[in-house]
Amino acid sequence: MTRHLLAALILLATLPCARAAGESAPKPFERGSWQRLLHEHAGHPTLVHFWGVTCGPCKVELPQLGRFMKDHPGIDVVTISADLVPNLPDATKSMLNQAGLGSAENWIFDDGFAERLRFEIDPAWQGDIPRTMLIGRDGTITTIEGSAEMTDLNKWSDAQAATTR
Amino acid sequence: MTYRRPAALTVLATLVAVLPNLAIAQMSHQHASEAACEETVLRCATKVTPAFAADGTLWLAWMAGGQISVANSRDQGKSFSAPMQVTRERLNLDWGPDARPKLAIDQKGEVALAFSIFRDQAFNGQVLTTRSTDGGRSFDPPRPITANNESQRFEAIGFDPTGAVFAVWLDKRNRVPAQQRGEKYDGAGLFFAASKDGGATYSDAQLAADNTCECCRLALAFDGSGHPVVVFRNIFEGGVRDHAIVTFTDLATAGEVHRVSRDDWQIAACPHHGPSLTISSAGTYHVTWYTNGKARKGLFYARSRDGGKTFSDPLPVGQLNRSPSRPQIIAGPQGLVMAWKEFDGRKTSINLMTSHDDGATWSKPTVVVDTADSSDHPLLVSDGRQTYLSWMTKVDGYHFQAIEGEP
Repeated sequence: MTRHLLAALILLATLPCARAAGESAPKPFERGSWQRLLHEHAGHPTLVHFWGVTCGPCKVELPQLGRFMKDHPGIDVVTISADLVPNLPDATKSMLNQAGLGSAENWIFDDGFAERLRFEIDPAWQGDIPRTMLIGRDGTITTIEGSAEMTDLNKWSDAQAATTR
Repeated sequence: MTYRRPAALTVLATLVAVLPNLAIAQMSHQHASEAACEETVLRCATKVTPAFAADGTLWLAWMAGGQISVANSRDQGKSFSAPMQVTRERLNLDWGPDARPKLAIDQKGEVALAFSIFRDQAFNGQVLTTRSTDGGRSFDPPRPITANNESQRFEAIGFDPTGAVFAVWLDKRNRVPAQQRGEKYDGAGLFFAASKDGGATYSDAQLAADNTCECCRLALAFDGSGHPVVVFRNIFEGGVRDHAIVTFTDLATAGEVHRVSRDDWQIAACPHHGPSLTISSAGTYHVTWYTNGKARKGLFYARSRDGGKTFSDPLPVGQLNRSPSRPQIIAGPQGLVMAWKEFDGRKTSINLMTSHDDGATWSKPTVVVDTADSSDHPLLVSDGRQTYLSWMTKVDGYHFQAIEGEP
């Protein structure tokens, strides 16, 4: 079993990853994307940020997250534009680039049935944005409703760094 | 919310899951739409708003194909007139979850209409209004409700008993002076204006309450004396986005703001989830809303029998494990009707309950209709004889039905 796990990890590490593509267009977030995302980042401390181009508080928080990503190369930073359709890949990409998040792993909701996408992520989530999910190395998820305090993110990041083997 | 995942299972699942993910990343981006089609017809609409005229004609205003259109029905929604397109140029209509075209019809059958657009690349909003003076056969070119150019959204309009249009909306104009003073500015102002010419021109905008939540629809109703009453998500001390209510003493004077409930939802975010208000013939204010506060979470109902000064204890509505949302309430001729959405992971259902004692007790909720794809909010409308549910769905089209249990 251990050998299989090791093989899986090696294979994972060598597979090309969409994140390596740099400042490309956000990936379409569809049914099943959330589970794939969780699997892909398993074992890595991951910050998942839900936002949208029409959300006022998001405009303030996005550049702060851009700086957070720069300062914390050990954290996987994922953004998901969860604005209701018609979503705007160009506006989304442009705002991410301006915020210094162009090279993050960026997604955009791509299902007209947004309730179903949200339900897969968290059945209790009614669509309020911004929203941040901190996924620890051990899979523990902490959800921050609304704009995150950068001090809280730094504290979580430090705690994750302390668990590095 | 926290949960743990067994590590071994996760790694194996990752290996299986990562391969299709790569294929997806390479696919060209395709728009997934809430709309069934891209034309301007009702079938393609994402937001449909109903209103009855005094003569029993049902009017619909909808957003489809980037345009606002209207049509009417003289047989309670069984058939509709040819659609009349209100907008001409293709506008970037506000598609936010709580945005929709609003319409109001006066005693003579004249139609006032209002809607929001995004007027720039930064998604600053603008409220546009228009009217028809020929019974909806033609509309004036839409024009801004105010000369001010800061962001405006989430308008609500209605005719008062004297035939004036009262309009209320959320407006960011006070942000700039606050920032120039070096002060932090949260949310948006609740602004209002009135039109004495059926919605052709509006009075200068006035502030009713500042620093309210900037991204939730407003609920507007008129009390027995014809005074506008507005429920809105406010920002209380400490960034708490709970609901508040204001009764206007006349079309130009806002009254005192009162709190509807203490949910203690402290959140710096856009809930995109506004309240609903109706006023019964007994003069009771009935409010429904969504919160995710420390004190309570989900949908709630409360009533006020003293003109909005105090409210009853909030009554939970819907099944919490089914993501209840978009509550609506109306005082119809046979009593109160409440409607809301629930979602079971696959289907969205519209749930209804009724009260025949002015909100003291409620019937058991019943599911009246469902759909397996995206849908608009359920809306309730009354023609004075009967209450109806109006609901636009992507795959099942437009749905208009009389509420069972009514006469």
